[in-house]
Amino acid sequence: MIVCVAVVGHQNNPLYIQSFTKADDSLKLHHIVHCSLDVVDERVNNPKKSGLIINETFLGLLNPTENYKVYGYLTNTKVKFILVTTDLEVRDADARVFFGRFHTAYVNAVSNPFHIPGKKITSRKFAERVSTIVKSFGLSSSS
Amino acid sequence: MVREVSESCVESLLAEIVLSYCSGFYANKPELAARRIEAIGFQVGHQLSERYTMDRPRFTDNLEAIKFICKDFWSELFKKQIDNLKTNHRGTFVLQDNRFRWLAHMSIDPSVQASGNIQDPSAMAENKSAQATGMHLYFPCGIIRGALSNLGIECAVSADISNLPACSFVIRIKA
Repeated sequence: MIVCVAVVGHQNNPLYIQSFTKADDSLKLHHIVHCSLDVVDERVNNPKKSGLIINETFLGLLNPTENYKVYGYLTNTKVKFILVTTDLEVRDADARVFFGRFHTAYVNAVSNPFHIPGKKITSRKFAERVSTIVKSFGLSSSS
Repeated sequence: MVREVSESCVESLLAEIVLSYCSGFYANKPELAARRIEAIGFQVGHQLSERYTMDRPRFTDNLEAIKFICKDFWSELFKKQIDNLKTNHRGTFVLQDNRFRWLAHMSIDPSVQASGNIQDPSAMAENKSAQATGMHLYFPCGIIRGALSNLGIECAVSADISNLPACSFVIRIKA
């Protein structure tokens, strides 16, 4: 089950952060997202140590902390998408599909002429689309 | 869902933007008008680059980003690629388009060009027409600058129209 998704700008400023749990632990989730940003920077700046192809957008599993798994995705415009999930077995392909759809929704939200680049995304449609994508992620991985 | 708009609509809109900013909003301040138009182009380029870099792997260096502008970005905007790319390997790139689509339907009074620089009034008129055409290039310069800034490259873009309909864009990357 996905507990949190976040969009972080290229100066590590949060553009959109949404948690999907009923519990009130949004602060802890913010903290996890923040820590995973460091891992993203490390992966991007030291490609040889981590053995990744440097121009992949999907960064994969960043760090398994306690009972959460964190996945990262970095776009060409240095915008990072972070996905926090409590699922024990998440297939790589599922995460990639999720990020693909999320990227499309993000691009559509940013193309809004009333959106100011660098400020938070306040579009209701984006929030609805993200919840739809999150729900469909849960369904596909459980089947 | 891809929505399309007619090309003549886009060209008319761009011409009207330049006209209304130059003779309407900032009638006697061409520099302010130019900067405003360039800022509009910056925002557009910013959002377009977000959309067109979606399915591509990340760029490794500045040259890759400039090549993306020359090939994919230009084909999405103008249905053709940049014809010539020159660089001095020290942060300056010259992108030459031999038939810039947005200027293709513009004409400059040929009598002005034929007289050359012999007499002063005709030289002034030629300068004026060059200046007027130059105003139409601030928008594409802004688009290029916006796209590159979204990819993390701060630069200054200027255009050169010494021989129409070919048009050169000079990109100077700030070190």
